[in-house]
Amino acid sequence: MERLRLLLRLALRNVRRQARRSLLTASAMVVGLALLILSRTLADGAHEQWIDSGVRLGSGHVTVQHPEFRARRSIERHVTAADREAAESALRDPHVAPLVRAVAPRIEAAALAVTPGSALPVAIIGIDPRAEPAFSEMEQRLTDGRFLEPGDRLHAFVGEALANRLQVELGHRVVLTAQTVDGAIGEQLVRLTGTFRTGIPEVDERLVFVPLATAQEWLGLGDAITSLGVLLDESWSVPNAARRLRTLMREREATAAVLTWREAMPELDAAVRMDDYGDYVFHIILFVIVALAIVNTVLMSVLYRTREFGVLQALGVRKRDGAALVVVESMILTGVSGVVGLVLGLGATWLFFRNGLDLSSLMGDQMTAAGTVIEAVFYPRFRLAQIGVSLAFVAAIGLLASLYPAYRATRIDIAEAMKFEA
Amino acid sequence: MNDTDQAAVRTEGAWKVFEHDGIAVEAVRDVTLRIGPGEFVVLAGPSGSGKTTLLNLLGGLTRPTRGRIWIDEVEITDLPERKIARIRLERLGFVFQAYNLLPVLTALENAEFSLLLRGVPAEERQQRVTALFERIGIGGLEDRRPGKLSGGQQQRVAVARAVVGQPALVLADEPTANLDSASSTELLDMMVELNEEFGTTFVFATHDAALMARARRLIRLVDGAIASDDTRR
Repeated sequence: MERLRLLLRLALRNVRRQARRSLLTASAMVVGLALLILSRTLADGAHEQWIDSGVRLGSGHVTVQHPEFRARRSIERHVTAADREAAESALRDPHVAPLVRAVAPRIEAAALAVTPGSALPVAIIGIDPRAEPAFSEMEQRLTDGRFLEPGDRLHAFVGEALANRLQVELGHRVVLTAQTVDGAIGEQLVRLTGTFRTGIPEVDERLVFVPLATAQEWLGLGDAITSLGVLLDESWSVPNAARRLRTLMREREATAAVLTWREAMPELDAAVRMDDYGDYVFHIILFVIVALAIVNTVLMSVLYRTREFGVLQALGVRKRDGAALVVVESMILTGVSGVVGLVLGLGATWLFFRNGLDLSSLMGDQMTAAGTVIEAVFYPRFRLAQIGVSLAFVAAIGLLASLYPAYRATRIDIAEAMKFEA
Repeated sequence: MNDTDQAAVRTEGAWKVFEHDGIAVEAVRDVTLRIGPGEFVVLAGPSGSGKTTLLNLLGGLTRPTRGRIWIDEVEITDLPERKIARIRLERLGFVFQAYNLLPVLTALENAEFSLLLRGVPAEERQQRVTALFERIGIGGLEDRRPGKLSGGQQQRVAVARAVVGQPALVLADEPTANLDSASSTELLDMMVELNEEFGTTFVFATHDAALMARARRLIRLVDGAIASDDTRR
């Protein structure tokens, strides 16, 4: 214990004594950690926005579907009324319910939209007008007319681009033709109540929203649906929520599959992962530079004190204790830098909490990719676990960067060290 | 072997050969030597005669190319480094020309360094160092850092660090080389007194005539070999 205290005392005083060198090493770590925290919180914020937009336009953070629906896209592969009830009951579970922001039952089917001037293939989305506003952003994307409302029956809400291509305006009639669940061809007349624009061509040119009850009756589904979308408060609770839902569904002997957004929207998943990998490459380059700076300054500090390390050995200090001294000095610097870097990183992050990071000069107000709308202004997301990982990362860099200088300290020849002049 | 045969340090046919640009330089040649407890020995000789290298061999700071070395009758020739470190800690004291105090420690912390590593309790360490500081004339300087001490005071702290653990042997390499003559005389007086009072064995490497004059045994080295070994009364 006395030996350890001596080591700490020596290390602390050596760090203070070589103030300029310590400051140089520490500032590399402080800047590195601050940048790491800022870039991670901004990236997390951006990804959360992408995911939020993507899942709201799509099928939610978690979706309950027939196991083959994604591959076949056929309403024959629907969620039965019994499975839907099992899923809704599972969503009321005390471990799941607090995570859930909104639930939206849907019917998705391929159809042909026919008007006097045009006939186009479209994607029908049967929605519950009561549940949908809390779930999707479609109401906010309104460009004309109104969104679907409870009590609507023969109404349709379509993309502005699709309306133009169908050559229809508000109040005009559109005939929708699709295969019903029993294989027959069913027709449904609807009137245009509103139009929307998301900026995503495949959404704006293809989607036709109709009331869920209308779609169920038209397609012969009864109380069945093709998916039950679940929107959560935070995207990082998806794995837990999905795992719990799967267990509960199994317990209720339901056959429907529980998919996460990563499974249901692989393009969005790939986009987030690719952006993460880009960030990781940036972090690796950043921390290789930081590590080299630390190795350089700590090594210089060891070489500058060659005689001192020789004296320590001459006095009976073991080589490994000399090496430990170097590591402890580096870890003290890492610890102090960690605290300062954390404060600096959080301070910089806080600036962006207020106004967000505005990239509109680079990309306009928004752009679309991977089935999601990417806003030009995004806000950082603070996660304690991410901060912990960043700190652990810096600590590991500090430790690793001290190993070679520590090794060099063990290679000092005492007799030669006594001749050393700094 | 009885007590009178016990050597503080001894060598048998010790050689130290350095390689410089492919040329072998024999710094110490075939030195067989026995220094008994309580001796006050000076290794003298011109620069390059091998004094410091022999001192380093005696202190286990460097290993012999050939031959054998014992400290306090423990052979260190092929001993693992950690065991030699232990012997240096428990049985040896060093005084260097450039004092070599640790700049971040106070005078007291420097002097008690080896006691602390040996696990001596703090109170006992402080008592021993304080008493020794009083004895060698640097009482009251315990809390000063080396940078705030004169050369003579620093060397006294270095001597205190070397002798406070009552080692079998104190090795001093040119201890007076950086001191003025008055400080040098005071330091020598002090080491003679410590030798006489506590029976501490001192081995010096020097070409300081004043120090050679105080030696009770003067070993002259020429080209790495012992040229003469005179004991005085």
